[in-house]
Amino acid sequence: MMPLPAPTTDLKEAQSCLTEYGVCIIPDALSKDELARARSAFYREIEKDQKNDDIVKGFALDPDELNQRLWNLLARDHSFVHMAEHPIALALVRHVLGWPALLSNISGNLTVPGSLRGGLHADQIFVPEPWTEDPQGMIVAWCLDDLTEENGATELVPGSHRWNHHPRKEDEKVDMIKVIAGAGSLVAFESRIWHRTGENSSKDKTRALVLPFYTKPIYRSQENWFLTLDEKFIANASDELLTLLAYKSSGLGLVYGRSPQ
Amino acid sequence: MDKLAEQGFCIVPDVLDEYEVRQTKAALLNAVTESERRGLPTYMPGLDPNEANVRVFNLIELDKIFRELILHKTALALVKGLLGEGFLISNFTANIARPGSKSMSIHSDQGIVIPEPWLQPWAMNIIWCLDDVYAENGATRYLPGSHKIEKASELPPEMRSQMKPFEAKAGSIIAMDGRMWHTSGDNVTDTSERALLFGYYTANFIRPQANWNAVLSSETISGLDEGLFDYLGLGPSANIRLTGTLVNQP
Repeated sequence: MMPLPAPTTDLKEAQSCLTEYGVCIIPDALSKDELARARSAFYREIEKDQKNDDIVKGFALDPDELNQRLWNLLARDHSFVHMAEHPIALALVRHVLGWPALLSNISGNLTVPGSLRGGLHADQIFVPEPWTEDPQGMIVAWCLDDLTEENGATELVPGSHRWNHHPRKEDEKVDMIKVIAGAGSLVAFESRIWHRTGENSSKDKTRALVLPFYTKPIYRSQENWFLTLDEKFIANASDELLTLLAYKSSGLGLVYGRSPQ
Repeated sequence: MDKLAEQGFCIVPDVLDEYEVRQTKAALLNAVTESERRGLPTYMPGLDPNEANVRVFNLIELDKIFRELILHKTALALVKGLLGEGFLISNFTANIARPGSKSMSIHSDQGIVIPEPWLQPWAMNIIWCLDDVYAENGATRYLPGSHKIEKASELPPEMRSQMKPFEAKAGSIIAMDGRMWHTSGDNVTDTSERALLFGYYTANFIRPQANWNAVLSSETISGLDEGLFDYLGLGPSANIRLTGTLVNQP
């Protein structure tokens, strides 16, 4: 089977990896300070949701109630906004999807000791088959903890984008590779890549990922930004972010004759 | 319904009676005036060659009669039949062809947005005829069988000469597969106006043309009944459609 591509900090090489393997790994995409801030924000928000009993458990992709999902990240801390519009992420988005593209959702995924591996899937699961011959989306996984052999590293099938279909029941035994990467790394893979959350078999290690998912602009977003973000947020958002959130429109998407932003 | 699936369109006469047609037409003319009063465009360069084609956007906002029409049971039965239960209201607009208005570019609604191949209907129009519609007053012209075209390279040369008008009486609806290649006709009459409403519906994973969260006023949104609220995609659960199954391996 196809191996994982070697990690690289060269953007051109990362783009070629996405074309060839469907996946790329970029170490140290976050600075030490950025990582520290994002990590503390992530665990602060997890704690807040736990305390308020808002925590999302038993999500459709998770087989148990241990894995925790964090929604509505853009409104929670600027470090997540920074990831969504990070120049490296957007350079990969432009390469894979073109521009404009949309941010479909951004969520957090926390594995905790004992959480089982998730369901095998490809992210463009909402597109009926047969699929067109190019990817319709891409996810950028930002690692806030080291991804190790035992703490629930994402498992995927490099090259599975070339099969160009969703995994079937009979594909459950497919060979998968764990993505091992350091905290601060970025792992991007296009939306046809077969993958799942890994099992956390560690005694005491959690594993946090922030997962912005981008699509071509014809698809309806998975998060309804008009409900989750307030006016102040929109007033302060960059032009690129406004494009990603579908506040920049032309032709038929006009609001009272002009683009809403 | 069989006709719609097979030939890519069907015409259902007498869905609205004479009185309802008159009411709806009056509401449309009010909507034109109201759009002008609000400074909203009623002509779209790039879509139509001249201003004799009057467009009204955002009908949902402008009158209750349109909020009812978009959910009309005959219309929804046709939509569910072709697109399935998982659909959204993508747009609801009007096009009044006044004498002298010219044909727009030939297109399929799905083809100009969705990458090929176009194998399934993911979009469709319910066209409400508020006037008698015939070739001379700008009836929509369609290329028969073109809903089966999967790629742009399969489009025949000289399409215009092979196109036919959808002719129907006021009060009819014309249901059209989003893959059908079509255009508006020229209105070559001296006095006959041709008003059509286009209810545009898409599969629910496709982004709607109108951003209802942004174009509807908060008064309108708070007054919507639950069904319309959901069909406009205003709720927090946006695109959660699954076409495949999640493969769980313990």
